[in-house]
Amino acid sequence: MNQVRKPVLLLLPLLLAGLVLPGSAVAQSPEGKPLRVAINGFENNLTPFSVSFGSAPNTNDLIGLVYDTLFWSQVKEDPEPWLAESAEPNADMTEWTVTLRDGLEWQDGVPLTAADVAFTFEYYKKQAGASGRYAHHVSDVPLFQSATVVDEQTVKITYGAPAPQFKVMPGADLPILPKHIWESVTDPKTMSTGLPVGSGPYKLVEIVPDQLYRFEANEKYFKGKPTVDKLELPVVKDPSAAFSALRTGEVSSVAFNVPPELFDQFSKNPDLALAKSTRYQSTQVNFNARKAPLSDPKLRKAMSMATDKDALVETVLLGRGTPGLPTFLHPDSVWGTKDTKSDYDPEAAKKMLDDAGYTPGAGGIRVAPDGKPLSFSMLVNSFIPQDVRAGQLIAQQLAPLGVEFKVEALDPAALTARRRPAVMGDVPPYDAYITNLESHGHVDPDALYYFFHSPGPKGFGVGITGYTNPAFDKIAEAATTAPNDERKKLIAQLQETIATDAPSMALWYKDGDWAYRPADYDGWVADPGQGILTKRSFLPEYVKVARASRESGEDGGSAAGESTEDGGSNLLLPVVAILALVGVGIVVARRRRPAGADDDD
Amino acid sequence: MLRTTVQYALVLFAAVCLNFALPRLAPGDPVDYLFPPEQTGVITPEQRAQVLGEFGLDEPVPTQFGRYLAGIARGDLLLSVRYGRPVVDLLAERIGWTLLLVGSAVVISGLIGTVLGFRSAWRRGSAGDAPVLSGVMFLDALPPFFVGLLLLLVFSVTLGWLPTFGAQPSVSADGLEFVIEVGKRLILPLATLTATSIGPIYLVARSALLSELREDYVLMAEAKGLTQRQVRRHAQRNALLPVSTIILIGLGTLAGGAVVVETVFSYPGLGRLIYESVLARDYPVMQGAFLLLAIGVIAANFLSDLLYPVLDPRVRQSAGARA
Repeated sequence: MNQVRKPVLLLLPLLLAGLVLPGSAVAQSPEGKPLRVAINGFENNLTPFSVSFGSAPNTNDLIGLVYDTLFWSQVKEDPEPWLAESAEPNADMTEWTVTLRDGLEWQDGVPLTAADVAFTFEYYKKQAGASGRYAHHVSDVPLFQSATVVDEQTVKITYGAPAPQFKVMPGADLPILPKHIWESVTDPKTMSTGLPVGSGPYKLVEIVPDQLYRFEANEKYFKGKPTVDKLELPVVKDPSAAFSALRTGEVSSVAFNVPPELFDQFSKNPDLALAKSTRYQSTQVNFNARKAPLSDPKLRKAMSMATDKDALVETVLLGRGTPGLPTFLHPDSVWGTKDTKSDYDPEAAKKMLDDAGYTPGAGGIRVAPDGKPLSFSMLVNSFIPQDVRAGQLIAQQLAPLGVEFKVEALDPAALTARRRPAVMGDVPPYDAYITNLESHGHVDPDALYYFFHSPGPKGFGVGITGYTNPAFDKIAEAATTAPNDERKKLIAQLQETIATDAPSMALWYKDGDWAYRPADYDGWVADPGQGILTKRSFLPEYVKVARASRESGEDGGSAAGESTEDGGSNLLLPVVAILALVGVGIVVARRRRPAGADDDD
Repeated sequence: MLRTTVQYALVLFAAVCLNFALPRLAPGDPVDYLFPPEQTGVITPEQRAQVLGEFGLDEPVPTQFGRYLAGIARGDLLLSVRYGRPVVDLLAERIGWTLLLVGSAVVISGLIGTVLGFRSAWRRGSAGDAPVLSGVMFLDALPPFFVGLLLLLVFSVTLGWLPTFGAQPSVSADGLEFVIEVGKRLILPLATLTATSIGPIYLVARSALLSELREDYVLMAEAKGLTQRQVRRHAQRNALLPVSTIILIGLGTLAGGAVVVETVFSYPGLGRLIYESVLARDYPVMQGAFLLLAIGVIAANFLSDLLYPVLDPRVRQSAGARA
């Protein structure tokens, strides 16, 4: 008996020590040591063709460390010249003359010239399949025709229709490729090994598949030598593990949002600071607008009016977000409408359905005018707990309206497959699904066109909602070629139409909270629409501004709090519970022990 | 012996065929994963064909099956859709880590489980048995991710003794230093995996010894006046049979079961590769990894078949009599 108990007793102080001792901080990294930032997915060798968007929403930022775009960034109305010094349109904006900066170089020392830019546009077009997300910039909107080299530093890009937003899309989004590397590559998707050569501030020097990226500063970068010499991005899939590593100091920052439940704890931790900059992320329910009775805008609008988005934000995000607006676009996006009000009004929603002929039916579920009960399924990504929870809450909120939703959690590929009709052009089988968007979906002025234009050769149509409205199409088409002022008005009209027809119901816009250890690095730049792991966080001119603004206290920053509630207190409960259980077990066992029963060894 | 070999060959062939069919039965295909509509826009049928074509996945299924079989014969497991690299390389990178992690866990949990199980059986009903039994059952009931996170919080976050993620140091280390760094990163995942896989082994060991202790030969041995130690040794030897089987089978299944632990600790093993390939509908990787697992399970069975005669003379004799 004693032999059994001794090891247990030995363990007790160990466990107790774990509770009492403060976290022994890992030694601070001296100069020259790499800065480590945890990312949440592996993206092969970071070329625009090999990424899998597994580390979304950071994928574009990672590509951006290695590659550059002509302008920066896509979230701005008038983006800053980057590789380009300027871009001038002709009178009807169908032709853009891009002048590159002087003395640009690829990371391997080869000069970067107009030939590379022209090659890039043509190559993405040729490789439309592999280009994936970049392909739409060189297909129909804007209708790309050709790219011609004028001289070493000048290239002319020609479009089949006016392309007033050239500087933003594709200018601030399309990574420019080195011609001398890619011209011989015919299967870009299989070219996912080997180190990429870009023009960006960081050279990728080592890839440990699924584990780590190691970067070194491109000292000759045209915006000046980056502020951090070595950058290491370990892949840490599990968010709890990633934020644990941040607390121990094994990483200096984590490239994904601080989970709402950790926010308060992190705000009080004196070793950590928080930067705030929303990535314009949104979560929404998309309805299958081609499938009766969901094809009825009144039904969709009534459901939107009966969904309490404030409650969703409070319950699911613990308040760390903005409730979704009927106008869909992120309110801070340059194209968003700032003064939209919530449309929550469950009583009006009921009246709306009554008037439209949806009559009460068996089990409290209404029946559509065509006789079908309003009983639907809502597909959610089983890997995003917040989406699953939102689905369940919406189902509860819509029950009093007489609409039944069953939540089906699927893995991402199965969900995508369900959204796709078996035969192109057919009505896909789903009813509704929850999906997430980030900046690109809110700042691309053509986003609404893509998402909500009627199905057909133009737009994403059927894959998003299948929404059809000729009036909407007309405005959306006009918007793609309109100059900015005009375009803003048109996009506002589009948003009003969406608010009325509700093909998609925005649930929330998540706050962007990023945590870092200021002792390791404090140059993080938090631009609206971006996270903090962008190349600007390592470029002297921007870092200087960011530091200055933090010092003047503009940044929300971290308040070095009074008490440090870290790890220990969280642990206390489960550990005490386990110890108590073990203790009770031992006591019970000893009580039951008949005298002398254990001398049999 | 010939019959056994033929049996194993048939099982392996069936596994090879299933490995081809199962991934394709799941809804969706690699393009659905590679091009989420929100990120990339809806892929036109032409784009879809172009991408699938790069990986030979646009061919008719029988052709693909033929290429798959021919590939296996050549030791070529085709290209991963997600990684764009040969599946053989992907498996080779990870199998070492899996063997290290899962292999050590099987050995350690096997040893601990057996020793504790035998001890419990021997002291059944005593004060020594109850806490161990309830303790092991308690551990067994805890989900691995919970145990992993708890260990992570205590030993990494609070105490700061051990690293929180990865398998190897990120700064280049060599020789002994590398071994120590790898060892430090192994401790927590290994402890989690061991703690949560002791349960079944312990239970089998305990009940096997209990039933042996009820056998007549034990009574006989005691009547003959053998010491308790000698009696226990005889009974334990016989009880080892089912225990060895469950440990060896565990070897085959643990590789797949280490997914959770590998995810919590960002450990680059096979389990995580399989998990992510299933998500990505990366048919070639799934085929290759399942093949490896099937071979593992079959080899484990084969090994336990071989081991039986060594452990149990009766099997040896009856096999001899048959031959």
